[in-house]
Amino acid sequence: MIIEANGIPFLLNYLIAIIVSIVVALVLGLPLLPDKPKRFSWVNSAIYPTPIIALGLLAILFALKIVWIYNGLVLAIVIGILSALFVKYLFYYVFPNPPGVNEGDKNSLEEDNA
Amino acid sequence: MNLIIGLILATIISFLNFVIVDTYFGLPEEPGVVGADNVGHSIKKRGGDLAGGFFQGNILCSPDASAGTLIAAIGVYALGLEGGLIAAFLVFIGNRLCADPGYAGTTGALTMTVIVILCSYIGLTPEMFIVGIVIAIFLVQGVHHPTSTKALGKIAKLFGRYTKLE
Repeated sequence: MIIEANGIPFLLNYLIAIIVSIVVALVLGLPLLPDKPKRFSWVNSAIYPTPIIALGLLAILFALKIVWIYNGLVLAIVIGILSALFVKYLFYYVFPNPPGVNEGDKNSLEEDNA
Repeated sequence: MNLIIGLILATIISFLNFVIVDTYFGLPEEPGVVGADNVGHSIKKRGGDLAGGFFQGNILCSPDASAGTLIAAIGVYALGLEGGLIAAFLVFIGNRLCADPGYAGTTGALTMTVIVILCSYIGLTPEMFIVGIVIAIFLVQGVHHPTSTKALGKIAKLFGRYTKLE
């Protein structure tokens, strides 16, 4: 109904985007899990928020009917890689620092993420 | 499914989704920003519960699972599965702009996306969930703060997330 007839390959694409983004984030040196207590942690990790960004960007492209080659498979892999690169290198150029962290401390925050 | 029964069921499911996710991710434990702290202490002065007040202040000041639940239902209504995933992404951006790490909001949006899609196979439509979550948020935020915060405080104790602040 809501998942269309061609939904199963699309679900696989989302799964592939999640796996690729987590693996690339780990390769880039992001921690697998946030610091403890996890529910208050500001540290970017491979589990969160990398897959959320990958899923969101891929869903926007699929909603715009941009599928590219191999029924979206290549797009899923590319978005997974780009999301991990974004979280590692560009995250704090786009989003504000966590509360209590000044502009000068940004480097130390990025070192924490490394 | 009958509209009234569907609405009641959707309200209950939406309420459980956002209260459980928000409580699990520690909204009643501490206020994320000064505004949430003010709301919590203001409600406590009026005879409410402090942990429930922090919960209300936090969902007022940043898009947590309540907003995630609502936006995910709207997203699935508009675009199907893609809409729910885009909703989670937008809620994450909103959270980061509101000084909140965003675990509760994104998790709430993703769980609601799965719930709405699964429930569509038993006749509960996304429209019912949109109305249901509006009713659920109204019951928590809009009727009587002292009563609703006491209930939220009891749920927080149940999950071991009651605030240690005074």
